[in-house]
This record gives sequence, C-alpha cells and structure tokens, in this order.
Amino acid sequence: MLSFHVLLTTFFEKKDVVMTAGFTGYLLWAVLMLLAFLSKSGWKIWGVYILLATVFSLPYLLKM
Amino acid sequence: MNNRNYNIYFNTHTISGIIICALLYVIFFAGSFAFFRNEIAAWQNNASYKTYQENHENFDKFLDSLKGETNLHGRDINFYMHREGTSAYIGYTASNDTILNKENLSKITPEQKAEKKKGRRGRGGDDDSKNFMYNFANKTAGDYTTNYDMGEFLFRLHFLAQLNQVPINIGIAPFGYLIAGLTAFIFLFALITGLLLHWDKLVSNFFVFRPFSKWKTVWTDMHTALGVIGFPFQFIFAVTGTFLIVNAVLVLPFSKLLYDGDQQKMYQDIGVTAHDNYPYSYKPLTVDVKIAPFLELAKKKWPESEFKRIVVKNYADSNMHVIMELEPHFNSSFAGSGILTVKVADNKIVEEKSPLTDTSYGDYVRSVIYRLHYGDYGGYSLKMVYFILGVMGCLVIISGILIWLVARDKNNVIPRKRKFNFWAANIFTAICLTMLPVTAIAFIAIKISPKVDQDFIYRVYFYTWLVLSLYYIARRSIRRTNRETLLVGSILAFIVPLANGLVTHNWLWKTFVNGQRDLFIVDFLWLMIGIIGLLAFYKTKKFFQKIQ
Repeated sequence: MLSFHVLLTTFFEKKDVVMTAGFTGYLLWAVLMLLAFLSKSGWKIWGVYILLATVFSLPYLLKM
Repeated sequence: MNNRNYNIYFNTHTISGIIICALLYVIFFAGSFAFFRNEIAAWQNNASYKTYQENHENFDKFLDSLKGETNLHGRDINFYMHREGTSAYIGYTASNDTILNKENLSKITPEQKAEKKKGRRGRGGDDDSKNFMYNFANKTAGDYTTNYDMGEFLFRLHFLAQLNQVPINIGIAPFGYLIAGLTAFIFLFALITGLLLHWDKLVSNFFVFRPFSKWKTVWTDMHTALGVIGFPFQFIFAVTGTFLIVNAVLVLPFSKLLYDGDQQKMYQDIGVTAHDNYPYSYKPLTVDVKIAPFLELAKKKWPESEFKRIVVKNYADSNMHVIMELEPHFNSSFAGSGILTVKVADNKIVEEKSPLTDTSYGDYVRSVIYRLHYGDYGGYSLKMVYFILGVMGCLVIISGILIWLVARDKNNVIPRKRKFNFWAANIFTAICLTMLPVTAIAFIAIKISPKVDQDFIYRVYFYTWLVLSLYYIARRSIRRTNRETLLVGSILAFIVPLANGLVTHNWLWKTFVNGQRDLFIVDFLWLMIGIIGLLAFYKTKKFFQKIQ
C-alpha cells in the first residue's frame, strides 16, 4: 500500500497523494487483507505482495 | 461466486464481526449522540448559543483581563474555537522572551507548581504555559474538567478516549485511540466481506422480510436489510473514522519517506496548518495591542466563513502576528480552508488564502472526510437522518450477534461450545443494550445535580453501566435484556425533557418558540426516542408471544 502510494508521487504532487491516501490507503489495505484470505497458498501471496512492493518502490529508490 | 469464496467471505465476516461487535456498538451509539454534542453542551448549561451575537471586541476584553493575572508579553496564545464561536479552548505558551520567561518562572509558587503537575498528568514540564476553556457567551473561564459536559463525554466515548488511561502505548497512538482505530479498520473489512457475501442475492434478498417464521430468519433479515440500506453510510464512517483516529499510521511513514521525517513541513504542505515560524524580536510593539480589527478584516473579506483557530504569536512584541484559520460556512462552500496572517506592527498581510475560492485538492479531500463524518453540512434535518442511520447501525450489530448465537445453537454443536457461545452473546448484548437506559440516566442526572464536572459524569455513567450490565449478565436471558432495556430506556427517555423542563423551566415548546433550537433539539430527540422505543416495545410484544 505504502509503496504503491509512493509510486504515485512520481506522477502526481506529493501533497495530493498524501491527502488521497487518507481513504484510498485504508481501502487498499482492507482489500489486500481480503485477497490474502482468498489466495490458495499463503506463500504465493506473500511472494506476490513482496514482488509488487519492490516493483512499486523502484522509482523512489532510484531517485534517491 | 464459487463455494470456496463464499465460505471465505462468510467466515471472515463472522469472525471480524464478532470480535468488534461490542466496541463497535459503543462507538455507533455514542457517535450518534455526538452529532449533537454542541447542542447537548448548550442544553446541559441551559445556555443557547443560537442567540449569541458574535462580537470581536470580546477577544481584546478577554486578553486585557488575562493580562491582569499573567504577564502575556512574548507569549503565543492559541484559540481553538468551537460551538460556533461561543467558546474556545485556549492555551498560552511560556514567553518567547528568555529573560521575561525566567522572571515569570521565578514568580511561580511551589503550590502552583504542584497543582499544575497534578492537573496535567506530568505533561508539559516545568514552564508556565497554561490551557483552559473560555465561554464567550457568559464570559466564564474554567479548566477542562470543570467545564466537562455530556456532549464532550459522548463525543470522546465514541473514539474510546476514556481507555487512554490504560498505560499501554505502542508509539502510534494512545491505547484507546488505537483500539478505536483498529475497530474502525476491522469494521471496514467486515463491511467489504459482508457486501461481497450478499452480492449475488443483493437485490432479491433486499425485499425479503420473513419475521413470522423462526428466530434465525428474524435476525438474518434484519441484519441484511438494514445492513444493505445503511451500507453507504456505514462505509463512509468506517473509512473516515479510521482516517480521523489513527492517521498517524499514514502520517509517520509518509513524512519519513517523502518529507525527510519532518511532519510539521508535511502538514503545512498539505495545508492543514499555517506557517507560524515568526521569531521573537525582543523589541516591544509601538502600536496598540488589539486583535479585534484583524478578526473584523477576515470576516469582511470572507463573510461566509467561521474561525477555526486563532493564534497570536509573540504577544506585544514588534514581530507580533495574528494567524487566523478559517473554514467556510457549509451554505457557501462545501470544501475549503482559509488562512489570514497579519503582522500587527504594520498591518501587513503576510499569508492569505481564501476559504471560499482558493480551494485546493487537499482541501476538498479533507472537507469531504470531515464533513461526511460530522454531518455538519446541512443543519438539523441532516443530523437527524445521520442519527437514525447511526442507530440503524446499532441494530445491525445487535442482530449480527444474535445470528451468530442462533446459528450455533444447534444440537450437533458440543455443549461446551454452546455454553461459551451463549456466555459471549449474553455479555455482549448486556453491555450494548444497557447503553440506552444508562445514557438517559446520565442526562437526567446532569440536570438534577447542582454541580457537574468530569468526575461526576464518569461516576454516573460508568457505574450505572457496570451495575446494569452485571445485572443482565447475571440474569442470563437475552430476551429479557432486550425487552427490559428497551422499556426502561424509553420511559427514561420521556423523563429527560421532563427533568429539563422542571429544573430549568425551559420547556421544549418554550425553547422552540424562542428560537433556541439547540436546546429544543435535545429534548425533541429524547422525546422521539421515547415514543419510538415504546412503539417498538408494544408492537413486538405480540410478535414475540406468537413466535415462542
């Protein structure tokens, strides 16, 4: 969730993203939590989430 | 939807629901009343603020009288306005003048120091800053605990602030807020799973109400019908509630990642607070120290707005600034926040942002969150609708608990588990349902008692709650809990406006005619609760006999 919103800051103004995260962030968290329950294997979903988090945070890390 | 997904939704919905049910009920119940917290405060003090005329001179008069007690020179003074400008939560800091500050400190007697330590529970430290409440309508000051009122109590109960006394702190938020935030988030989760669970039969089941067949269908139909009707409303509250109570969860990482850990800078960037780094100059101000003209100026610029916060920086110093944060009245603009900062020495406007026109994206988002949560964008009729929807939320929670119990009350469930299930449901319903009579008793008590402060409200509310809950837990009959609390609560609800009329002689028809609508609305609310409660009691009486 965090990495996704940090990714968004590369496209939009960061103050707007921070404000929007006020609700999209929690919604996304709730959905991610549900998806974890729906997945067939706990390991797979862990992998997917970690992969996504890394991909999303790449632009931020590269900018540093 | 395949069976596997259905089962997952079903189980996650059940478990998340049963974990938070009691807390969520408390939050919904207290929160519904908290829509009227200003009205309740006015009602308790029998002082309508609808008839108060705003007068900015009062600020200077107040500061002059404060100067008589304390040397204000070089201090920063904060006014957090509430109740439509009739009262303020005021705080002043220690003087920014280091020499003066030493002088001020040397004047503090050890007794005062001890008093302060006690009052603020160790916060604040060794300076001579002070916080208190001031009521502009009747010009009285008092500290927080003596000015505590029922509106404040219910408002704080609805985010479990009273639980903050529990000394567990994991760094994000105080204990009570943390629990409330977690509850709100789990509630959001339960809402999503609940919606998905009913998705396939959303339309067909909406029109199904089979109250006359058997117990389980009564509760299921109630749960789904009311749950689906109230879904958008509850969804708004789950999201905004989580944001409002535990936004530290977001603020901390975002400020670390995007603002190098500078939270202050982030808040200024997203427009929550005005810039306030105006240094102390050690040169006294040559012109008169008055703040009323600046308040007038702001009001003249934007007549359709109200003060949210007023900060006086470096009082009576040549670098004195008056920072005003305003928000638009809901009739003129739904979203927006304004800032007007004036340097007192030369009347120059340093920072200006109109609450009416310069609305940024962030303002929109924030206003949507706050306004939707507080329901303060459409007068009393809207608040009434919010109240009804809030109470509907309570009914959804109660019926949820009962479905949970009834679904598990079968012969194939082993006795040990059945015992536990009943035990849990019994305790939950006893705690939840006694809130109605307890709240009514507290409202009556604050009218009858001559002196009301925080201690009094705490004692009345929490002890009666404890006693009643224990009684119904011991009775071990959920049906009795249900029926009796409804009956007792409704009867007590009738007594609330009666008690108010007898004690203050401000009967509800009188306040209605006089235009003191804030006083009227509280009496009216209780009257309605009483009528609807009694109706529900008698209507369901027959039905309960039939179903037995």
